[in-house]
Amino acid sequence: MPPKNKVATKPKATESAPATITTTTTNPTTTTSTSQPASQPSEPTTVLERSQHRYEQTRPFEAARRQHGLSKLSKEDQKGWICDQLLHLTDRLPAASRSRLLGPKASKEIWWTINGTNSIVRGLKYKHKSEPHTTWGTDRDGHDVGSYSIERFDERTKKRIALTALQVSSRVFRENVEREKRGYVDARSGQEVIVTEREIDEEKVRRSKMAALKKELYGEITGKLASSVEWEDVVPIPHEEPEGALAAIAYPAEYAEAMSYLRAVMSKKEYSPRCLRLTEHIIAMNAAHYTVWLYRAANIFALGLSIPEEIEWLNEVALANLKNYQIWHHRHLLVEHYYPTIASDPTALAQFAKQERDFLIAILSEDTKNYHVWSYRSWLVGKLGMWEDEEELKSIETLIDEDVRNNSAWSHRFFLVFSNPKYATPGKGATERDEKVTQELVDREVKYAQEKTYLAPQNQSPWNYMRGVLVKGGQQLASVQGFVEEFVVKLGEGEEEEEVRSTHALDLLAEIYAEKGENEKADLCLRRLAEKWDRIRGGYWEWRRKCLTKSAKVVEEETEKVEAVAVA
Amino acid sequence: MTQNFTSLPQELLQLATSAHVKYIQSLDSRKDEYDYWLTEHLRLNGLYWGLTALHLLGHPEALPRAETIDFVLSCQHENGGFGAAPGHDAHMLSTVSAVQILAMVDAFDDLETRGRGKAQVGKYIASLQNRQTGTFAGDEWGEEDTRFLYGAFNALSLLGLLDLVDVDKAVDHVAACANFDGGYGVSPGAESHSGQIFTCVAALAIAGRKELIDVDRLGRWLSERQIAGGGLNGRPEKKEDVCYSWWVLSSLEMIGKTHWIDKEKLTNFILSSQDTEKGGISDRPGDMVDVWHTCFGIAGLSLLEYPGLEPVDEVYCMPKSTIKRVLGR
Repeated sequence: MPPKNKVATKPKATESAPATITTTTTNPTTTTSTSQPASQPSEPTTVLERSQHRYEQTRPFEAARRQHGLSKLSKEDQKGWICDQLLHLTDRLPAASRSRLLGPKASKEIWWTINGTNSIVRGLKYKHKSEPHTTWGTDRDGHDVGSYSIERFDERTKKRIALTALQVSSRVFRENVEREKRGYVDARSGQEVIVTEREIDEEKVRRSKMAALKKELYGEITGKLASSVEWEDVVPIPHEEPEGALAAIAYPAEYAEAMSYLRAVMSKKEYSPRCLRLTEHIIAMNAAHYTVWLYRAANIFALGLSIPEEIEWLNEVALANLKNYQIWHHRHLLVEHYYPTIASDPTALAQFAKQERDFLIAILSEDTKNYHVWSYRSWLVGKLGMWEDEEELKSIETLIDEDVRNNSAWSHRFFLVFSNPKYATPGKGATERDEKVTQELVDREVKYAQEKTYLAPQNQSPWNYMRGVLVKGGQQLASVQGFVEEFVVKLGEGEEEEEVRSTHALDLLAEIYAEKGENEKADLCLRRLAEKWDRIRGGYWEWRRKCLTKSAKVVEEETEKVEAVAVA
Repeated sequence: MTQNFTSLPQELLQLATSAHVKYIQSLDSRKDEYDYWLTEHLRLNGLYWGLTALHLLGHPEALPRAETIDFVLSCQHENGGFGAAPGHDAHMLSTVSAVQILAMVDAFDDLETRGRGKAQVGKYIASLQNRQTGTFAGDEWGEEDTRFLYGAFNALSLLGLLDLVDVDKAVDHVAACANFDGGYGVSPGAESHSGQIFTCVAALAIAGRKELIDVDRLGRWLSERQIAGGGLNGRPEKKEDVCYSWWVLSSLEMIGKTHWIDKEKLTNFILSSQDTEKGGISDRPGDMVDVWHTCFGIAGLSLLEYPGLEPVDEVYCMPKSTIKRVLGR
């Protein structure tokens, strides 16, 4: 049986142990048994040093061996070391097993030696600073906590205790929330457990303190959602990136957190106000994420929320994200959903159309040619049947007045006029002649285009428009020859005399002459375009010239031959 | 083609190939840039743009093949569709990019053995067609756009599964998008737009129905996209942009009218939009570069037969060698 443990105090250890250890000097032959301590440590400055110090005090033989090497120790010290090792290597074993392992005689000898050398039975385990599991870890700046001074370490410890205390209280709160959910009845009071407003407020304060401490101690950033009481019951699903992903994605913490919560609720197909708020939160960070929009729409419909109100919210988002596709498809979905509820009420329909138009006008004033807005607009006209809406046509005219070069507005006008089921044949292609279209309509539109052409003769839009109208009405291009000729003065009469106010006019003139069979005049127009007035499109004008006399097919073949030669 | 470059400053003449290669290679390492995660929903598309550019520059090996395949397959869902990034819902655009990437790196076998297989991908794409109107949605959310129609044709034809969809109905829809000015819009009645024109014309090309195009009118409209600076814009009275060097130019190529613009001026415009030091091409000279414009700028230069570039297929926007290997033509 082991004798009573000798619990040594620090000073005693320092005194007894070193006396039996021989110091080594650089000269191995000298064996001076001095009372010089092997390594009298100076006062420890860091916690790591303090630990080392403590270790050496409780395991003097092992410390000596590490410092000098086993062979340099005296015989007594070596024996002491062996006993020390045996003690510590077997100290996990129950005493009975230990003596069985070592045998009664060996055990006796070990204990006799231990008593003789005043060895310390309860020694510390060796902590080498390279062993990560035995250090204090790193702080938020990546520094080893072991390098802290004693005072600093104590301060850190205080903070950790404070954090633990908060975590304990928080756990109590969470348990109460769980109990309240399950309708638990408190054993002492006999009342149902209720979590009061005050407790929730306290918890919120607690959580922010915990988050601050975690950040300070460990550099951990606790997300807003993870701290929030509202999201307590949701286990977020973090983003899974395969190892060594080729196109790895780095997430700022807040976005990553929000997405992980989104995945969680989407997988459960939860539709609730908090989910709606979550989609808004994510959209504010990244409006182009199409999945979020899909889920938001699902929430709106599942909760039966007011579509007009959602559209009001959407308007703000649209104004802030002009290049975004998703916003307009979301709007499309909302309107599709809303339409059946107002379809039979002309007043409601008219009012909704007006609201929509007012917003479209507002957003187009920010970005007059926004393609998403315009394609939505043309869809809306069809959906709500806004064909006869005077305001619609007027607003397009206003836009063209403000900027005659707005091709989107011209395009919409064509659509509004020539796809109107009242005046046009539904389903007719834009480039097809429509017999239903009246002459008055054609005249009106041609006149409109011509008026606007004067404002900026080189602007392409009204020229394309006018031509498109003539085709729709099945009218000869030559019917506008007089107008076109106004823009081309003294063609071919010399550089000084010749004046071309619009290359499009010259182009159309060529077409008119060709239509009438006046090929020479047509050729002159095209030649002047290629030579001077629109050199950049020389290849096109030359092709047109060739087409005057040959069939398109022949011209194609010839062109290909020329290209082949040039490359070779 | 007789191009006379000697009248221009030396630096404008060079395509900074190695800078562009390095730029593309650096793209997946910019984890600390906000823009990187903001464009997460384009990640797979971004890989397609980068890879296409590298192939055309003659450096297909610059992105590691195995990792590329791994990443693409990690974006695939059970339904066969691909999301923009791992964990993202499947979408037509990313599915198309996935198929194009796998075609370029010759990994359709990996799709069979490690992925969900070609048939499943085809099934996913086909499921997005609206059988009444013939058009295609981007995903279950239902947004419809001729881009998705073209994408479906592109991917399905590469997979050899075009017969899974109603091609004729889709073609009818495209024809209905033709406008009075000769162009095509995103849907019937919508304004003509170069990007939409590309998708419509290319879709008709894949379906073998180019005869429906009014080539002269469309060609005229497209040639008008070139403005004084030499660059091309997307619609009348809008600014020139390098990406239209692709949308407009490939459309012209498909209808055989590239000689209707000034090629030299366009070449110079694209070259002036490069960042010759850090690599990459921007939308116009002086602006910030990005991988989208880099891809389409280089594709445009390839169509213009700029020396040293691999030929690009005008319908698929992929190397001609890939299309030859996959489609045998």
